Amino acid sequence: MKKAFLSVAFVAVSFLAQAQYSYIGLHKYDGQHKNELSGYVMVGKNVVSGWFGGLELSYKRHLTDRWHIGADIQNQYGKQLYSSDIQGGYRLPVGWSDFYFDGKVMYNRYQRWNINEIVGNLSITWETPYLYLRVGESYIHYQTVDFGYREPLTFTFGTGVSIRPRWYSWNIGLFFRNYDDFYYENWNINWGLNFYATLAKRMQLFGEFNIRPAGSMSQLASKYETSGKLGLKYVW
Amino acid sequence: MKKIQSALLTLTVMIALVACEKVSPIGVLVSGTGVEDRVKMSHLYFQDHKGEGYYWDACGKDEYTFLVGADSHLTNDKGRLQEMLQNTLDNNDLLCAHLGDIADTKAEYYIDLEDLINDFKWKYAKKHFKEQYLGDVDDEEELEDPDNYIYTDTVEDKRYGVDDVPMPFYPVVGNHDITHNGWALWSNVFHSSFYEVLVIVNYDPLVWDRFIFLDTASGTLGAEQVKLIEEDGFVLREYLESNIRNTFVFSHTNIFRPSSLQFASTFAREETFFLLNQFKEWDTSIVFCGHVHKWDEQEVNGVRYITLDSMSERNSPAAGDYLLRVHVKANGDISWERVHMNYVAK
Repeated sequence: MKKAFLSVAFVAVSFLAQAQYSYIGLHKYDGQHKNELSGYVMVGKNVVSGWFGGLELSYKRHLTDRWHIGADIQNQYGKQLYSSDIQGGYRLPVGWSDFYFDGKVMYNRYQRWNINEIVGNLSITWETPYLYLRVGESYIHYQTVDFGYREPLTFTFGTGVSIRPRWYSWNIGLFFRNYDDFYYENWNINWGLNFYATLAKRMQLFGEFNIRPAGSMSQLASKYETSGKLGLKYVW
Repeated sequence: MKKIQSALLTLTVMIALVACEKVSPIGVLVSGTGVEDRVKMSHLYFQDHKGEGYYWDACGKDEYTFLVGADSHLTNDKGRLQEMLQNTLDNNDLLCAHLGDIADTKAEYYIDLEDLINDFKWKYAKKHFKEQYLGDVDDEEELEDPDNYIYTDTVEDKRYGVDDVPMPFYPVVGNHDITHNGWALWSNVFHSSFYEVLVIVNYDPLVWDRFIFLDTASGTLGAEQVKLIEEDGFVLREYLESNIRNTFVFSHTNIFRPSSLQFASTFAREETFFLLNQFKEWDTSIVFCGHVHKWDEQEVNGVRYITLDSMSERNSPAAGDYLLRVHVKANGDISWERVHMNYVAK
């Protein structure tokens, strides 16, 4: 009974707390600010939709130095993809590293193909000053005209390294994962380079170059999507 | 910095360690054979050879059938593929489709595969066409040489050497077919990985059943194939003006994962949604897929999706149901049954 209660409690708090995973340097909380507002523009080319561009906006609230909640929205033109999510997380410091237990509920509208997608994800991230590893499971359900399909549970994995420790004023990193801010894939990976640089005490510039091949885990890969993001984060 | 160097070194070593015969180390990140080039080559071939073995006649029959198999992964043992071809020949199927990964990529496997295909072309020609022997009737060696025979299709009034016999065997290309630059081997035998076959089911008015074979070996159609599909540019324009009754689509890569433990790549999200939409637009009756080596059936917006188990004797060593036979009645009704394979490796 106690175990069951703890499991339910874990799932519940995971959805109430937040951590943003896509950029290096964003996990390590400085304990000083309560709010983070960030946004980025993106541009890319996809095999199916051709050129696309997009705008994203995120807000994160640090409830304590352990708990966070947040929400994100995006519009992608070309793909005609409109997304929103709420997410949350708990940070558990262990020695020189942190564990993040986080959850996310996301809605995607793929207008071009008349698809509505609901995604739930629970993940654990182990973060060190130079490296992070992330594993989780995703629940994905999509609906077309008169058909709803729930995918079998999808394993989520990701890793990244950076050349500086996370508290440094600038950083460049490499990542490899099967998810991005607004999608969770099964065995299709994306990888690339990311960076951040502190512009002022409260403001950070960040960006990402993302290569998303198709068929990568079937022993070969072909060009599917290439994109870039460039954004600003303001904290107070 | 040393930690990063160590991590990168570890990653490199891990990639090198998985560089066995079936996994290309650079293939984890970059393909050796591009889908764009394959589609361009296939499309050119298809445009130049549209009249050669891409049309079949089922008019006046109560029903016609076709056989589908997947993932034979042929190596040194031809047993299962041989059984599939014999089964389709014995059953008088109108055509036979293979869903890719027909052989593992080694030159000797493709030499065996080509020999097997030519054996069955000869058997098919003997069964369906008028034979003319050109050799010495008293020379046993010459009698067994297929080069000494000419076959005449009396309906179409066409003559063929055994190598040119239009045997109705239609494969799509799979990811194992193209690793280690296997496209050169595959295309040497089958020529085109993106094409269409039409079966005429009524003359007046003209009505066709349409069979579309997609190149999905790379887990994506690629921009060129998407463009051709959206323009319907891979079909003879005049046939678009006539009535299409049933449409069947064949793809190596599957759309739906049968379970959480299926670790093969499927299509990325946008492409999955594009395909679901496209198959509906084509009013597709059945989409046949392979790749994951597991039976699965789904229905989406009136389109049936059937994923087949692997017929390879290594993946499925016991005798079992690995093939699918589809029956198409004269009125267009469709039914299907699984077909048992008896061959077991010695």
